[in-house]
Amino acid sequence: MRPPAEAIGTLALIVGAIAVAIFIGVEGALVYAVWRYRASRVAMPARFDRNTRLELAWTAAPALTLAVVFVLMLGTLRDIGAATDAQLRIRATGHQWWWEFDYSGIVTANEMHIPIDTAIDIELASVDVNHSFWVPELGGKTDMIPGQINHLRLLTRRPGVYLGQCAEFCGVEHAWMRIRVVAETKEDFDRWLATQGSPATASGDGARVFQSNTCVNCHAIRGTSARGEAGPDLTHVGGRATIAAGVLPSDAASIRAWLVDPQRYKPGAFMPRVPLSDADLDALASYLGSLR
Amino acid sequence: MIAREARPAAPALDRTILGMFLFIASEAIFFLSVVVAYLASREPGLADARANLDLGRTAIFSVALFSSSATVAVANARRDVRWLGATMLLGAIFLVGQGSEYARLATIGIGPSSALFGTTFFTLTGLHGAHVLVGLIALAALAAATTRRTRGVGPITWEAVSLYWHFVDAVWVVVFSVVYLGTFL
Amino acid sequence: MSAVPLWVARPAGASAAGWLRTVDHKEIGVLYIGMGVALFALGGIESLVMRAQLATPNARLVDPELYDQLFTVHGVTMMLLAVVPLLVGFANYLVPLMIGAPDVAYPRLNALSFWLSLVGAIVVYFSWIAGGAPDAGWFSYPPLAERAFAPGPGVDYYILGLAVNGAGTIIGAINLAVTILLMRAPGLRISRLPLFVWMTLVTSFLILGAYPALSGGLVMLFVDRQLGGHFFDPTAGGQPLLWQHVFWFFGHPEVYILVLPAMGMVSEVIPVFSGKPIFGYRFVAASSVAIGFLSFSVWAHHMFAVGLNEFETLLFSVTSMLIAIPTGVKIFNWTATMIGGRIRLLTPMLFAIGFIAMFVIGGLTGVSLAVVPLDLQTTDTYYVVGHLHYVLFGGTMLGVFAGAYYWFPKMTGRLLSERLGRWHFWTAFVGLNLTFLPMHWLGVQGMARRMWTYAADTGWGPWNFVETAGAFVLAVSMAIFALNVVRSLRGGAIAGDDPWDAFTLEWTTTSPPPPENFRTLPAVTSRRPLWDRKHPEMRDAS
Repeated sequence: MRPPAEAIGTLALIVGAIAVAIFIGVEGALVYAVWRYRASRVAMPARFDRNTRLELAWTAAPALTLAVVFVLMLGTLRDIGAATDAQLRIRATGHQWWWEFDYSGIVTANEMHIPIDTAIDIELASVDVNHSFWVPELGGKTDMIPGQINHLRLLTRRPGVYLGQCAEFCGVEHAWMRIRVVAETKEDFDRWLATQGSPATASGDGARVFQSNTCVNCHAIRGTSARGEAGPDLTHVGGRATIAAGVLPSDAASIRAWLVDPQRYKPGAFMPRVPLSDADLDALASYLGSLR
Repeated sequence: MIAREARPAAPALDRTILGMFLFIASEAIFFLSVVVAYLASREPGLADARANLDLGRTAIFSVALFSSSATVAVANARRDVRWLGATMLLGAIFLVGQGSEYARLATIGIGPSSALFGTTFFTLTGLHGAHVLVGLIALAALAAATTRRTRGVGPITWEAVSLYWHFVDAVWVVVFSVVYLGTFL
Repeated sequence: MSAVPLWVARPAGASAAGWLRTVDHKEIGVLYIGMGVALFALGGIESLVMRAQLATPNARLVDPELYDQLFTVHGVTMMLLAVVPLLVGFANYLVPLMIGAPDVAYPRLNALSFWLSLVGAIVVYFSWIAGGAPDAGWFSYPPLAERAFAPGPGVDYYILGLAVNGAGTIIGAINLAVTILLMRAPGLRISRLPLFVWMTLVTSFLILGAYPALSGGLVMLFVDRQLGGHFFDPTAGGQPLLWQHVFWFFGHPEVYILVLPAMGMVSEVIPVFSGKPIFGYRFVAASSVAIGFLSFSVWAHHMFAVGLNEFETLLFSVTSMLIAIPTGVKIFNWTATMIGGRIRLLTPMLFAIGFIAMFVIGGLTGVSLAVVPLDLQTTDTYYVVGHLHYVLFGGTMLGVFAGAYYWFPKMTGRLLSERLGRWHFWTAFVGLNLTFLPMHWLGVQGMARRMWTYAADTGWGPWNFVETAGAFVLAVSMAIFALNVVRSLRGGAIAGDDPWDAFTLEWTTTSPPPPENFRTLPAVTSRRPLWDRKHPEMRDAS
């Protein structure tokens, strides 16, 4: 079975070509009629007003065209939607306004890694409102609706970074709910997954700041006592390319700026501003950045 | 040919009656959407419905509403205010029955917010009840106008009011079937 | 030179109280149109603020809370509060004149419809100063629209406003349908109805079938929000998708409610300015009926991404493709009407041709949305925003402008300026293509709709800037139209009864028409009674 994006792309080219042909034909006829029959060229208009055979023809022609499009579509449908050939299952859960990815118990956020040449079944869930999981270059979107589980088949042959976006309006920070998908070789993926599965190793002053503040109410760092579930799991946050679902890069300086005033970068997000001393901020930012 | 052209295009249908039919059609779509919502939410609420609805009593009160269709038909045919009165009485009996069902459910803690069953039940039957109330007001207005005016009220008004009442009755046939019979049968 | 426009020469006098009390269909039509214009301007201002915010990445002109309110109220305004009153206003004014009736079937109910519609709109807009406008999108999907996620009063104003507005629209539709079915002049059989009246009749039935479903959904949402109900609450067994089904059962016919009357206007303008009867009258009328029926069977193509089963997916894909066929039939018949004609390229005709040219684009992208795999890429993106604006601006609004230039002389007794009209048309044409065409590729590239801003690394900035520039060109275009109207009312050329050499009954009476509409009615023996009167030697066959 084909990668969904490839199947959709091929179909789009064919349907697009048909549409362009119709567009040129119809607009051409319109322009021709206006030019040929403008008042300065015609003394007396004709009076004909019906031709049943013509009417039937231009009812039947679109019907046949659409029948062709429908059949082409049927050939594409099995490549998308729920994966029957899945070799890997990932649970993606939408939150206002970030993504949780669960690889059979190994949890990460906002950045999803997938192995290439592997059919993947994404189970889509939501804990609050409707979201929609969409990475255009990997395939179509499927909604995340609380109370039900939807499925989306992913498969890609090219390693690389694919960017996506929540596509269903989900509240104030719908815009800053970006997805980053890293497609890599099976070996790289396995190594990444093993890292994600291991507890955090870093420690130091920043860890103390994190543990002794309200951070722990919402965030988990495995290997420590922080077990909050309202916000993204931070066990390996420094290993992700961005923070806050694509708002800022994950270097220590950006993390610090984010901690100083989250609302400046993502107004409306539930991340509060935690009053900390400059020294604590430095320590916390460098600690989080080192969680790779 | 000319004679045929000169004939007025307007057919025999009165505009008030046609308007009432269209209004009833739009009301039917309105109820349809809520009935569909009830059916779509039926499974999660079914246990609550089975445990708490009183089919027997409601069936008796329903008979009152169903028979009021007959009395309003007689009232309309004879232009008789006494039959209108009988219709209003039967409609009022139905509303009292619904009220007592609501009161009983309320005492066992079931309301619009208690669970999904309460939400759908009170919305659907409440909307119907509100329409019965509007129908009663229309019947009362018709009765009042008929007794006050010496020349009476035109036949079209009688016709239109009784059409509406038949509709309110027909909605209950559906609601009763879906909510009560559908739960227990 | 009189500074008093002719259209205030009206039975109730020019007083405000007269307008409040009026039950004359023409005056109520003018009230509806005035309401539509005012709300169209408000919706337009909202869209300009949004476009300004999106002109550059990471902009902070408005905050996300305000942006969400802007696009919600813009959508509600344009879909329900502005264009519906505009179209109903034209229908109110024109239908009795086009069928040779003295008024609508129920003049007093007609006034009630208008005032209910207006009060509903005021309720929605009152929310801006009463704690916040609705912010869950014009289709207000729960759970986001539930109290837990939208605790402010905005969604409640949305529910109340749309319910009241909808009641007015439903009553108005009953009135128009009964008027058309029972009050036609002698000889004006259904098969001779002007096509604008045909499409108004179909639209009325669409309103009667669709709006009550919205009312039902609004009641449920109200119960959830105000009485603690659980219709759409997944934590208590309710289903968020139930709302989507009910809403789109209304929402898709609503699109045709907005498009069909404009198609009707174009179907009047094109024959007159081609000097020919409409080509394939029966097919144009029948295709409207077909669109009417099919429009109730396509709603779930708005929901291909929600996890429908295979049967539902294929069913709604087929029906959504089918509806393209009667739409195509109309395009072909309008073009065939022009072929062989003598085309006078005056402003109404320019807009009518523009309507066809732009509607074709919206129609073709519409078919792509029926093709499920393509829909899954494009739904809820700017591609859809572009598509729907080609249908509703490129289509409906250009059609309404065609109708406005065409019938303005009948309503006021004065012609609009051709020179300003051409400026209006070309600025609108350029502006709408600049604004809405780039949306298609931005959507495919990943720009979801309803984003209050976007990151610079997306590369979407330049095309968004083009769109914003286009939106301001459109604003200039609307200003030119306003200028044209004001100048014409103050001293435009006198139109006379029949300035366009038209075919239908409304042009047989004076401009503006007297309170009773007609002093004498010509005999109707064909679809073009006025043509027959002007050309007795070459009357149309009945």
